[in-house]
Amino acid sequence: METVTVRDTLHNSLDIRQAEGDATSMPAKIQAQKTNVHYGDKHALKDVVLDVREGEVTSFIGPSGCGKSTFLRCLNRMNDTIDGCRVSGTVLMDGEDIYDPKIDVVQLRARVGMVFQKPNPFPKSIYDNVAYGPRIHGLAANKDELDEIVLISLEKAGLLAEVKDRMDSPGTGLSGGQQQRLCIARAIAVNPEVILMDEPCSALDPIATAKIEELIDELRENYTIVIVTHSMQQAARVSQRTAFFHLGELIEVGDTEQIFTNPKHKLTQGYITGRFG
Amino acid sequence: MSEMTKEALRGGAHTRELVAAGIRRRYRAERRFRLFGLTAIVSALVFMLLLFVSIIGKGYTAFLQTEIRLPIHYDVQVIDPQGLRDAAEMRRANYGKLYRDGIRSLFPDVESRQDKRKLNSLVSSGATFEIRDEVVKNPALIGKSQEIWVPASDDVDMFVKGKIDRTSPENERRMTDLEIAWIDALVADHRIETRFNWRFFTQGDSREPELSGIWGAAVGSFLTMLVTLLLSFPLGVATAVYLEEFAPKNRWTDIIEVNINNLAAIPSIVFGLLGLAVFLQFFGLPRSATVVGGLVLTLMTLPTIIIAARVSLKSVPPSIREAALGLGASKMQMVTNDVLPLAMPGILTGTIIGMGRALGETAPLLMIGMVAFIVDVPGGFSDPATVLPVQIYIWADSAERAFVERTSAAIIVLLTFLILMNAAAVYLRSKFERRW
Repeated sequence: METVTVRDTLHNSLDIRQAEGDATSMPAKIQAQKTNVHYGDKHALKDVVLDVREGEVTSFIGPSGCGKSTFLRCLNRMNDTIDGCRVSGTVLMDGEDIYDPKIDVVQLRARVGMVFQKPNPFPKSIYDNVAYGPRIHGLAANKDELDEIVLISLEKAGLLAEVKDRMDSPGTGLSGGQQQRLCIARAIAVNPEVILMDEPCSALDPIATAKIEELIDELRENYTIVIVTHSMQQAARVSQRTAFFHLGELIEVGDTEQIFTNPKHKLTQGYITGRFG
Repeated sequence: MSEMTKEALRGGAHTRELVAAGIRRRYRAERRFRLFGLTAIVSALVFMLLLFVSIIGKGYTAFLQTEIRLPIHYDVQVIDPQGLRDAAEMRRANYGKLYRDGIRSLFPDVESRQDKRKLNSLVSSGATFEIRDEVVKNPALIGKSQEIWVPASDDVDMFVKGKIDRTSPENERRMTDLEIAWIDALVADHRIETRFNWRFFTQGDSREPELSGIWGAAVGSFLTMLVTLLLSFPLGVATAVYLEEFAPKNRWTDIIEVNINNLAAIPSIVFGLLGLAVFLQFFGLPRSATVVGGLVLTLMTLPTIIIAARVSLKSVPPSIREAALGLGASKMQMVTNDVLPLAMPGILTGTIIGMGRALGETAPLLMIGMVAFIVDVPGGFSDPATVLPVQIYIWADSAERAFVERTSAAIIVLLTFLILMNAAAVYLRSKFERRW
């Protein structure tokens, strides 16, 4: 497996990209066109070409340091906040380049929500956590509307039943899984079009993980979801499409079933069968 | 590989023996360390106790003042011979005569001029002003007589408080036998008492120890601190927030950071010279004024606040910033909604510690003339004033015996303020501290 040359890799992934163009079931929500990321001198992401389709769950898999989280953070420009990080190439969302100087990053992040690896509720009440986004964007005209947004978001995140009696207690007092669902509710409250999830279950126990996975499946109806995961089982369970990254390159992308049963690339096969990673 | 390690690797009983031999040494080391720690804490406590005992022991008597009860006749001929009842005119009258007549009426047999003067000096010259103020406030007293308490002179005060030894030879003490006899007579007549020294807490400085008070310096300190706080807190927090959250990390910000850290280490007297050159010479601000003192102390406190604020901003976990930015908060919203509230306990603690240092600072204020002898309590930011530590310095430097206890009393007042400020810091930290 280690003998695969770079030229092979490029050649193969090019084939896959062309093949992929034919199978259009859903319109592309986000299109990455030759996206490159540099951290200082390090070339972290190389010429990634990838479509994220609307209304689907797309998962990114690959060994640690392969660039999957970096690419995810390109999609809502969270990389802007990192010193020495440069992004080049284009990322189109609904046909518009999100790296265009005319695009306002605050507006973009209202459209593309994010859930992080470690649950990170604000040290505020449960209510204030969910109301945070609507408040900063001025989405609610009055208190009643805000209440409604908060309740609906918690309901959608499957947390309402557990917290409705203690909306004023701190969000940091919930269990890990509840905190993560609170973060999902917080992201939903802004009513985004896309939700990015960066290893949302890596800090959670199996039961909490199962709940989040169930939730992702439900959310798919209304949102386009991109999830980075270390667990191939999770990718197989929740996503319709899977992209495999290796050493900063997108090696293969396709329907999840195809990736896990009939990978076209040797590296992908090696990874999913556990020969490296 | 030595024999020892070979043995150890073989394991079994021998390994256990080696571990057992080492474990006693390890526990001994731990016990020794604990003992050192305990010794350090105990010696620190002993020194603190010594400090407090010595200062409070010397200073508490300054909160009491010896007073003499005198019969005063508010003589019309002295106060208002023309009968105009004009306040300005009445202020100019010779009120000294009233208390001198009062004490002489108690000892009618004192004849010689010298002895009369000695007798007069048992009473503080401040009695003049107290009687005057009383009359101006209440002119109905004129023509009447009443008994009033007036402050005794500092020597009488020291004698009554036992700071002058009556058994020592007459030429070695500040009281003659005659004066002691008068005092004994007054005590026997219940005309001498030590009463609560309200003057100490309401008056400004004075050449007479029995009339001097801490209030002028306390107000000076308060005004100076107010200027310092109002300038250094917003400036310091804004600087820290900008450097930590907004500024690009490049060579310029590195240079600024190094220089801020250097500023924190500069001796305070240098800031005093800077204040003298810039605020007094160049901008022509008034000498000895609290506003200049506040400005100089701001220069000194700023680096402390900036460094404390930057540290507490740094300690806010990045996940909070990511959460806010990920929801589409602008950088400003992120800072004001999330980062600053979480950093506030640390910022406030740093500010209060910086202010505590500024409150106890003397050297830079000497350079801008706040060491002057100032009797009036400052009424505004441009009035000449002095501050508590400078007042302590001035009193410690004075010759009169009675200033010794006042120096200690002023230290007690200053320490009380410092302890209150530090307690506030602890309280704020525990109140606003949030865990995540």
